[in-house]
Amino acid sequence: VAGVCTTEEVIRYEYHVLYSSSYQVPVLYFRACFLDGRPLTLEEIWRSVHTCYQDRLQEGPWDTITQQEHPILGQPFFVLHPCRTNEFISAVLAGPQKHHRHTNYIILWLSTVGPVVGLNLPLSYAKVAPEQNSNTDSV
Amino acid sequence: MTDDKDVLRDVWFGRIPTCFTLYQDEITEREAEPYYLLLPRISYLTLVTDKVKKHFQKVMRQEEVSEIWFEYEGTPLKWHYPIGLLFDLHASNTALPWSITVHFKNFPEKDLLHCHSKDVIEAHFMACIKEADALKHKSQVINEMQKKDHKQLWMGLQNDKFEQFWAINRKLMEYPPEDNGFRYIPFRIYQATTERPFIQKLFRPIALGGQLHTLGDLLKDVCPGAIAPEDGEQKTQVMIHGIEPMLETPIQWLSEHMSYPDNFLHISIIPRPTD
Repeated sequence: VAGVCTTEEVIRYEYHVLYSSSYQVPVLYFRACFLDGRPLTLEEIWRSVHTCYQDRLQEGPWDTITQQEHPILGQPFFVLHPCRTNEFISAVLAGPQKHHRHTNYIILWLSTVGPVVGLNLPLSYAKVAPEQNSNTDSV
Repeated sequence: MTDDKDVLRDVWFGRIPTCFTLYQDEITEREAEPYYLLLPRISYLTLVTDKVKKHFQKVMRQEEVSEIWFEYEGTPLKWHYPIGLLFDLHASNTALPWSITVHFKNFPEKDLLHCHSKDVIEAHFMACIKEADALKHKSQVINEMQKKDHKQLWMGLQNDKFEQFWAINRKLMEYPPEDNGFRYIPFRIYQATTERPFIQKLFRPIALGGQLHTLGDLLKDVCPGAIAPEDGEQKTQVMIHGIEPMLETPIQWLSEHMSYPDNFLHISIIPRPTD
């Protein structure tokens, strides 16, 4: 992103998808560090959010991405706040459900929130598997 | 018989006498005296230790001072946990004052969240309150409040103003007359001996038949290994705000009266002292 780094810096991201029983939605936890191991600061994370999401971020950075303790590992992670997830997910789900089209909640959610923090899902995730039916007991 | 409201005051005004000592490897221009302070159980370390920071910075050079962090017997203390919880979990059966070591270097990135300003504490505190209300009222009460009410909760905590805080918080402790309690109880159970930082699950305060669930019911459901069977030897203590409430106490009552200002019941399970 222009203005953030003068040289090309490689940043290593680690993403975890957790489920919040309090909000009953999935939550995206992530951490990021440079190749030398130095972790990114919250300010650097905010700056790395894609331009098209910066307006929303500026409105309420503290409501959007903050540093929190991973509830299982107990280590600091950055978290994309789940409070507003239901709002946009219901709106998006309403369409396909009305037409009885197959929906994968997690793919839908992750393809929406992931890009905000650098996680871009390949299109192949959106392809319906050949044997996919309601009786599938795969992964 | 003590009024239930007195419990709210006792919880709010609980204090822990603490002795802060500078870590021996910090570089100082002269000897650093320890600093004594009564810490509010319901607050957060980084919110109430400005005087501690100033005291030690007086004997250090500016370039030696980076983000402050606290440690007890080798364990970095998580500032985002309430002080009373940290004490109950790590030091409740040791002699007072609580001895905390102060560091200004080598911030443990893998263990502690950063806390560069009071805004971080406020964001964390408000996020906890919002999550608690999501559990108690599907977020209806917190979302109906105005921004100034949210601000009043934070200012009440920051300035140690019981009345100011509870003027708003009492709304978060109400429930519709047709129900007998909250939808779910906001709680977290901590054990220093486990990998996992805490246990948090959905738990209803009222059983299907209408009976009130107790603290004992919660523990049996959520961490059955933590308490021994009734006839067995009780190897652990279940502690909230430095006391062991009776296991028969209704969890709805505990949630209304012994939650921290973030509206969560933070419960410690610690080894029972053998003497």
